[in-house]
Amino acid sequence: MRPPIVPVLALAAASLLVLTGCTSGSGASTASGTPVAGGTLTYATGDAEPTCLDPHVGGNYPQALVASQYLEELVSKDKAGNTIPWLATSWKTAADGSSLTFTLKKGVTFTDGTPFDAAAVVANIEHVKNPSTLSSTGYLALQKVSKAVAASTDTVRLDLSSPDSSLLDSLSQPWLAMESPTALKRSQAVNCESPVGTGPFVVTKWVKQQAITLTRNPKYTSPPKDAAHTGPAYLKTITWRFIPDSATRYAALQSGDVDVIDNAQPDSIVAAGKSSQLKELNAPRPGVSDRLELNSGQAPFDDDRVREAFISGVDVNAGIKSLFFGTATRSYSLLSSVEKSGYSDKSLFDVDTTKAARLLDQAGWTGRDSSGYRTKDGQRLTVRFPVSTNQSIPAERALFEQIQAEAKSLGFDVEIQQLDLSSWYGALAKHQYEIVSAPYTKVGPGVLDIVYDSASIKPAPSGYFANLAQVNLPQLDTVLQQAGQEQDATKRQALYTQAQKIVLDGYYVLPLYDQQNHYLYRTSVHGLRAMPTVSTPTLYDTWLEK
Amino acid sequence: MTVLPALPSAVEEPRASRTRRRPLSVVEAVAAVALLVVIVAAVAPGLIAPRDPLAIAPTDAFAAPSWAHPFGTDDSGRDLFSRVVHGTSASLLIGVAATAIGVLLGLVLGIAAGIGTRVTDVAVSRLLEVLFALPGLLLALVIIAFVGPGPVPATIAVGLATAPGYARIFRTQIRRVRSSEMVEAARVLGRRPSVLLVRHVLPNALAPVVVLATLGVGQAVVWASSLSYLGLGSPPPAPEWGAMLEAGRTYLGVAWWMTAFPGAAIVLVAAATTVLGRRLSRRNRGMR
Amino acid sequence: MTRALVWLAKRVAGGVVVLWAVATLIFFAIRLVPGDPAEAILGGPGSQASAATLALVRREYGLDQPLGVQYLRQLGHLATGDLGTSYSLKQSVASVLAAQVPPTLVLAALSLVVAWLLAIGTAWWSASGGRIANALASGLEVVASAVPHFLLASILIVVFATQLGLLPPVSTGTPSGLVLPVVTLAVPVAGFLGQVTRDSLLDAASAPFALSARARGESASGVFGRHLLRHAALPGLALSGWAFGSLLSGAIVVESVFARPGLGRTLLQAVTLRDIPLVTGVALVSALAYVVVVALGDLAEAVVDPRVRDASRSRRPRNRGTVAA
Repeated sequence: MRPPIVPVLALAAASLLVLTGCTSGSGASTASGTPVAGGTLTYATGDAEPTCLDPHVGGNYPQALVASQYLEELVSKDKAGNTIPWLATSWKTAADGSSLTFTLKKGVTFTDGTPFDAAAVVANIEHVKNPSTLSSTGYLALQKVSKAVAASTDTVRLDLSSPDSSLLDSLSQPWLAMESPTALKRSQAVNCESPVGTGPFVVTKWVKQQAITLTRNPKYTSPPKDAAHTGPAYLKTITWRFIPDSATRYAALQSGDVDVIDNAQPDSIVAAGKSSQLKELNAPRPGVSDRLELNSGQAPFDDDRVREAFISGVDVNAGIKSLFFGTATRSYSLLSSVEKSGYSDKSLFDVDTTKAARLLDQAGWTGRDSSGYRTKDGQRLTVRFPVSTNQSIPAERALFEQIQAEAKSLGFDVEIQQLDLSSWYGALAKHQYEIVSAPYTKVGPGVLDIVYDSASIKPAPSGYFANLAQVNLPQLDTVLQQAGQEQDATKRQALYTQAQKIVLDGYYVLPLYDQQNHYLYRTSVHGLRAMPTVSTPTLYDTWLEK
Repeated sequence: MTVLPALPSAVEEPRASRTRRRPLSVVEAVAAVALLVVIVAAVAPGLIAPRDPLAIAPTDAFAAPSWAHPFGTDDSGRDLFSRVVHGTSASLLIGVAATAIGVLLGLVLGIAAGIGTRVTDVAVSRLLEVLFALPGLLLALVIIAFVGPGPVPATIAVGLATAPGYARIFRTQIRRVRSSEMVEAARVLGRRPSVLLVRHVLPNALAPVVVLATLGVGQAVVWASSLSYLGLGSPPPAPEWGAMLEAGRTYLGVAWWMTAFPGAAIVLVAAATTVLGRRLSRRNRGMR
Repeated sequence: MTRALVWLAKRVAGGVVVLWAVATLIFFAIRLVPGDPAEAILGGPGSQASAATLALVRREYGLDQPLGVQYLRQLGHLATGDLGTSYSLKQSVASVLAAQVPPTLVLAALSLVVAWLLAIGTAWWSASGGRIANALASGLEVVASAVPHFLLASILIVVFATQLGLLPPVSTGTPSGLVLPVVTLAVPVAGFLGQVTRDSLLDAASAPFALSARARGESASGVFGRHLLRHAALPGLALSGWAFGSLLSGAIVVESVFARPGLGRTLLQAVTLRDIPLVTGVALVSALAYVVVVALGDLAEAVVDPRVRDASRSRRPRNRGTVAA
């Protein structure tokens, strides 16, 4: 296990540089003056408008973005990736790993006046685990939690069916945020409109298709340990707008009609870099990297030679460079660069079209049809690639087209199908895909259990299955299970590195880059930072220069 | 985007005097030449643009227009001139196919209303009233909500959305021709109704529809491009103007040419068909 | 007075028939499309609905009942104003629409006014400005009617928001935020109205009454205002139903580009999420709006043209139609 540590360290150092690089930008702006209280900040998101503001329900990134302003979690992360206190002041894992006990911060109340205590935590855990909540992300993360018990008013114990080394990571995510138990008792429709948390802002109004209005919580007392100040937030109001069109969104930022935008497009990021009025905050999402996954569950990618041929036959570097204008760095890892346990192996992805052709010949794809595609027994080497238009930016879709053109010269007929989200899920559920790119955001290496354990080939109750490469290796399952239960950090890291090596060596995955997450903001905005957990922005420390 | 109104002039009483022909105006001549070029591009794109519209060259991406690339290159370094030229057939096909669907369906409904009994006439007229009440793009979206997005549903949706307009004109024309002296005379001579329909009624009723269909193709192209913009149209990497325009819009700040040329192509086709369609419609009226 | 009441009653009855037919069409369309209607209601193939959820929806929507019963029940609900519950927004469709209709109506009404002003303006310019003005106006109208909304919107944003910094690129709730969306929506419609208006204007200008007015020594603008405009506006007015429909179509694109709330954006989202109850609701509301606007257009025609006032009771042979609504 020794050699891999070097790239890991290098990667960790690199990601630290990236992180400090971007935070020093915003840090410098904070230092440029004394914070001023008051004012309204307009945030324009390009993500879909959530259908429910309670991230327990379903559980996607658009929900996490806005929920980070009004909901809080038991724990958070610091920039180095260590778990730090938030609504819980301390925690302890039982020696045998059978339970996790939290001591809660005292004197915290939800914005509806309900006290935050052990009973509230129990209510939240039960809310997520209740099938009628229709939780997906939170539900999966709590699978090993059999029961939540209030040991005293400020002590809560989570009993586990088996040790879970990822549970702390999971509890730092907005999908497991703490909401007022009083508010949770209302109907789901009402709670979706106005969830109640302990956060620095309160949801006061939601005009569909237009904006959510968030107002300052004057009694706020519970910032995470790494926040820059204490007490209530500086901003009086946040207007959280939905501007789906990326060109319009950027134009609105330039004209000053909005102060912060997310999902900035590569060319806008470069243009903003040349502007004296705009700044960038680059915060790649944790979890898996953006990557292509090859479906090994059916022909032709059930043959590992065909997978290897595809992965070593297409060159994506030139495309990434030109399409992303240098704003994205090529990844050779299954995991995001912010993930300390990420293992990277560049040598596996050297482009060698001669080798690719030889492998395809060996696999029996020796014929050629009139269009120049390879054939075997009269069958064309066709691979279907459903692309969700909602989950990919134009630059990425263009990259997919380039991959399609590259693969054509190898003899692959890549059929790109641009689908809306509903049809896309439908295609995956029916296994009508050979290539797919699916994001999965999660704190910690535990995301590997979700994405590559063979158990994830079977659809969860929600119908989704996360192991889209359909990796089905008993050896890998064993390693992942051991890692998931391992309490010792070093041993756990080694096990996860081993798991990543197995997947990479099997040519199931073509990593592209981190899940891109670029924010642009006007220079009048100070103290904007991304949460080190899932990289959502937090506007608690933010203030507006007047 | 906007789908055209039946210019009232197009369906007025066809006049007997079609003798005096006005020479083509400059605008009309330009429109005619433009359409000719467009048709050549659709039929034999290789003649105009020999390069492969799908060949990528990431290192040449976002190149401004030059001698090598008269329209510049796109985000994957593909030659935009080739893509615009080779995209003609796909884009026109959507317009032509949609118009054909609209005209055919309109013909069936119009004939049913025009030569059927009073009851069928009332029933079809009511149905048309209902279809009119759902504006075109809205109807297209409703249809896509049921059958899912893609170029084929988009084409069918545009076609269905244009059908009631054609149907109404067919009905008016058929009724008018049917009661004309010429047809009365034929009926007196004992011709069978089906023969009457094919020999006399249809040819006379079709003339204004040909005009409107000419106008309709251009508008259907504009329409289909809007569906592409909304993400409900043609899939990549097929060069189709609407999809190219949508891809280019993202880069309006760094590569205006990605938007300008496909956009100009759409406007050109729609404008040229409008100009020529109006000319035909005037001729049809026997004016000037 | 009684005649007006009869007219109104006929209009209302006609409108109800149209709404009933739209509801009927959509009701049977859901059942004709291959696949499970319960799944369609829940959001299509990607909904990944569990068997329990599907059963729930079947019961809620009465899908386990005979088709006739389902249909009558649906009509009963509609008659009482119950449009069902939006699957994606988990809100009653009626309340969603109540919030989304006003912004679209404001946008469409303003655009219609602006389109008319532009159309009459160019018509006047070309009628009074000689050959070159005429050719230019005609060219402008043709190009205006051929521009896709989203292209026009992009150009306007780049020029007026990014380069000149004069107007906000997104709707801001202030009057200035309305300018770009309204202009984007109005220009293509103005192109069409202009073409129609100018054609009849030119016809009217050579008509005997205009020549005699001019012979009497009336000024060109006087003739235009008093005689020609009234004459020329008629075919345009007859098209207001069409124009309004076209504006509603355009609103789908314009509301998305300029991030405005409204019916169009709601429909687009509903289509993307396959929210059938919401799609049905939007279709019904826009059909209703269309019926009302056509009635208003006829009223306006009657005001402008005395001949119509007397003739409109009988079925007019004149074409009010469109190639596509």
